[in-house]
Parts: sequence; structure tokens; C-alpha cells
Amino acid sequence: MAKFPSVRWFDAVREVFNGDESVQGGGGGYCNCIAGMKVGKDVFVLTFEGVECTEAVKADDAALDDVDFYLDMAPADWREMISNIHSNNGADRHHTLNTLDLEREDGLATSHHGDQYREDLFFRYNQTFQYFFNASARIRTDF
Amino acid sequence: MAKSSKASKAKTAKKAPAASAKPSAASDPAIAATPTLVSSQAQGKADSGQPEKQGPVLDWMNKTRQWGVRVKPGKAGLRLGDLNVGIYGEIPMQWSDQSRNPRGAVPRKGMPPVGYAVREKVGMWADSAADLYEEAIQRRWAPATDVPWNTVEKLPSDIERAICQVCTELSQFANVEIETIAGWQHQMVYGYHEVKQYLATASFDAARHYECFRKRALVNGGGLGVEGPGQVNRMILESSGGWSATVAYLVLVRAVFTMTILKYLARHAYNDAERFIYEHVLQDKARLLTYGLDHLHFAVAHDDEQPAVLATVLAIGDRVLTRDLRDPALREALAIIFGRGIRGARRQGMEMYEEMMADFMQTHLGYCRWLGIARAPAEAMPPPLNRHAGASVAA
Repeated sequence: MAKFPSVRWFDAVREVFNGDESVQGGGGGYCNCIAGMKVGKDVFVLTFEGVECTEAVKADDAALDDVDFYLDMAPADWREMISNIHSNNGADRHHTLNTLDLEREDGLATSHHGDQYREDLFFRYNQTFQYFFNASARIRTDF
Repeated sequence: MAKSSKASKAKTAKKAPAASAKPSAASDPAIAATPTLVSSQAQGKADSGQPEKQGPVLDWMNKTRQWGVRVKPGKAGLRLGDLNVGIYGEIPMQWSDQSRNPRGAVPRKGMPPVGYAVREKVGMWADSAADLYEEAIQRRWAPATDVPWNTVEKLPSDIERAICQVCTELSQFANVEIETIAGWQHQMVYGYHEVKQYLATASFDAARHYECFRKRALVNGGGLGVEGPGQVNRMILESSGGWSATVAYLVLVRAVFTMTILKYLARHAYNDAERFIYEHVLQDKARLLTYGLDHLHFAVAHDDEQPAVLATVLAIGDRVLTRDLRDPALREALAIIFGRGIRGARRQGMEMYEEMMADFMQTHLGYCRWLGIARAPAEAMPPPLNRHAGASVAA
């Protein structure tokens, strides 16, 4: 049981994600970027290299200056997404990163630097990030 | 801000083990030790019944611009961009060679010019091209086997017809992309092979999109619908003022429009197969978007006239897009999908369509701003773009 949000939780998801070869083909695959996760006031930075998520660290707001993009949701929204993924063994169409992005006035993925090239990595690697969060269905999450 | 980040990315991409150069192959003892062969000249005599053995010519072995290059694979393998070391990484702003000579090879004298139209780096380059090429190969997918086709179930007739209509038009969009890219690719010089290679994958991506939309239309008791109005198709295909202007139409207008539609379709998918298709096509399209933005960014940074030219090009494009948008087929079909039937289309579906169009304009205008391309204010745009642009500003 890992508590969300925490490095332990992201590490547990990383372990499942990195060990699942099925998400490395069929539109998944190499993904090289640094993505921030903002859960209310908590900030985590995930590093994706090759076919793996190699690191998850706790950070602060200043770290968001350096990430390619970050996903920003209130803790209740993160909880709803993760619970939905757990219940359905993957996000239903109302809780995919794409839908959550569309439903937010300023989008789900954003950045401090405003560099479109880096922000658009969210769409270029979208399936990989979806596979990553879908992997959380295979761990036990405590909120 | 964007430029510096891209520049650093480009530098990173070129970080590969340095190549060491050796003078030439002439000093290679292996060449001197080559056994006697029958040369082609001598072969002719042999055919005429007069065999004559000669040593091989081998003079081509002395000709190289840089020898002894040994690029080592990194963690991600041996990538195209890794090869840009030494003279092989010299990518000049102008490519005067009119032959098919690969960059870094020794040119052959007397080669007739091929007559390439796009010969300057500013006309096609994007720092990300080599990375996008690798990414397209690594993240490829196969509609035949990766799409969970067995999740497609019988749908109400109005919805099935609407999906088929949208698939018809999206497959048309894909076909235009293939033809457009193919129509320009052979006009581009060999000096910037990274771009030509990336565009080859973009063309293949588009072929995959044509395939999967056609498959979706024919997999569930429906069929293809009505051909789209095609004014924008024609505009893209017939754009001949330069590749950059074509990219403005193909990417800033068509790709952004298609990506917005795909995002909304994924949100309103009726089964996992459709969701898979829309989300994966979206991901492929994001690569084309990256190339397009990267190229236009480069073009704008190196040609002072370019922002004004692109502004004019896009203003013309607004009027053409407007004519396509007045055609009801795509609009109504999307509203039916979003509204989950004709009844729901009247209100909920059309509201979603309007939201989608405002999103499209917001994204399109945002990219133009980022590139420094001036656009007309919303009220000066032709209807219905003025309404959508106005809604995007209000949002």
C-alpha cells in the first residue's frame, strides 16, 4: 500500500510500468522528457528515458521551471483519476489525460517557460504517460 | 526562450563520440594486398575472346572527405542524429550541390543537375528532424493488429453514419498529407537528409491514418460517406510558393484542426478501438506539429520577411478554410457523435462542436503568436472563423 502523492507511490508505479513490455510497442516506446506532477502544493518530477521512467523525486515549485511540462490538478481531481483507473483497470474515456486536458480551461499540461516545442511533448508521448498512470491500477493506493 | 531551449536540444542531439579522421585509404596495406581481379575493361576483352588480367583500379578508395569515423551507439542505440560528427555534421545554410550526392561524400564530376527547388536550409530545416525520425520508427503501431477491433459493437444508425462520415473526411485529410509531402520531398536537396527522412516517416504515418480511418468506416456495417468539400485540400496541395508556406497550411491549419478533432473524438469514443485510433493518430500528428513548428520557428528566425509572408499566407488560408467550414457534413457528423445521436446533436452536440472550434482557433492563434506571425483580430476574420476566434479569445 503506497500513499498518494508520495515518491513511494510513484516508485511503485514506475516498477510496474518499467516491467511491462506490452506498453513499449503499439504506439508506446521511447520517451525522453522530464515531466512535473503538481498535486495541489506538492510537486514531483518524473524522468522518462528510453522505455523507462527512471526516476521520481519530490521537488518544489522552482523545479517546475526546468521540466518540459507539468500536469497540474487539485488533489481531489488526482484522486478521482487514480480511483477511476483502479476501478476500470485503466482510465475510462472521462478520465484519460486527453479528456482531463480538454476539460480544463488552461489545459492539464502546462509549463513556466511557454516553449511550445517542450510543452507539446505531452501530446507526442501521450500514450506513454497514459500507460504510466494506467499502471497504477496494479498497485494498492491509499489517499 | 524557445530558441535557446531548442538550440540546447540540438547540441545534445549532436553529442556523440567524436570521430577521428585518418588521411585516406591509400595507405591501407589491405588495399595493396588485394588479389588480382579482372577489371571491367578487361572483362570486355574477355567477352571478345581475348582474356587479359589486370590489377583492380581501386582509385575510388583514395577518395573520402573524412576517414576513420567510429560513432559508438549510446543508451538509446545508434541514432541518426548521432552521426553528425566531424565533416558529416557540417550542415551549411545553403546547399549548392545539385546532385544526389549524400552529405559528406565526395562529389563526382560531370553529374547533371537534378534541379531541386528547395536548396536552402531556411526553406526546410528543423533541429528536431533526426529525433522525430527515430521517434516515428520507435513509436510505430499497426492498425491491423494493435487496434482492438473486437471492441467495436453495433451502434445506432445515425451514430454509425456520423462516424463513417468523419472517417471519410479524415482519410481524405491523410491522403492529402501523403501527396503533399511526396510532392515536395523530391524537390528538397540531399544536404538536409534528416528532414527528408523524417518526412518519409510522416508520409508513412499518414498512410497508416488513411488505412485506419478507412478500416473503421468499413468494420461495423457502415461504409464510406460523402467526399469532403476539399477547398483546404486543394489549397495545401496547390501551394507552390515554397515548402514553408505549405507547412503553414499543412501544419498550422490542417494538422492543428485535425488534432483538435481527434482530441474531441477520443473524448467521445464509442469503444476502445476508436479511442485507440484517435489517441494514436493524435500522437503521430503531434510529431508533424513539432516538425512544422520547429521548421517555421527556424524560418522566421533566419528570414526577416518570413513572418509577414506567413501572415499573408494564413490570411488567404482563413478564407479557404471558411468555405470548407460552411459545408455541413463534417460539422453535423461531429455534432451527432458528440451528442450521441441526432437528438443530442441539436443542442449538446453543437455546443461541443462550437467548443471544439473555439479550442482549435485558440491553439492555432497561440502557435502563431509563439512564432511571431501577426494574425488579424477575431472581428476581421471571415465568418464563421470570426465567431470561433472570438469565442477562443473570450475563453
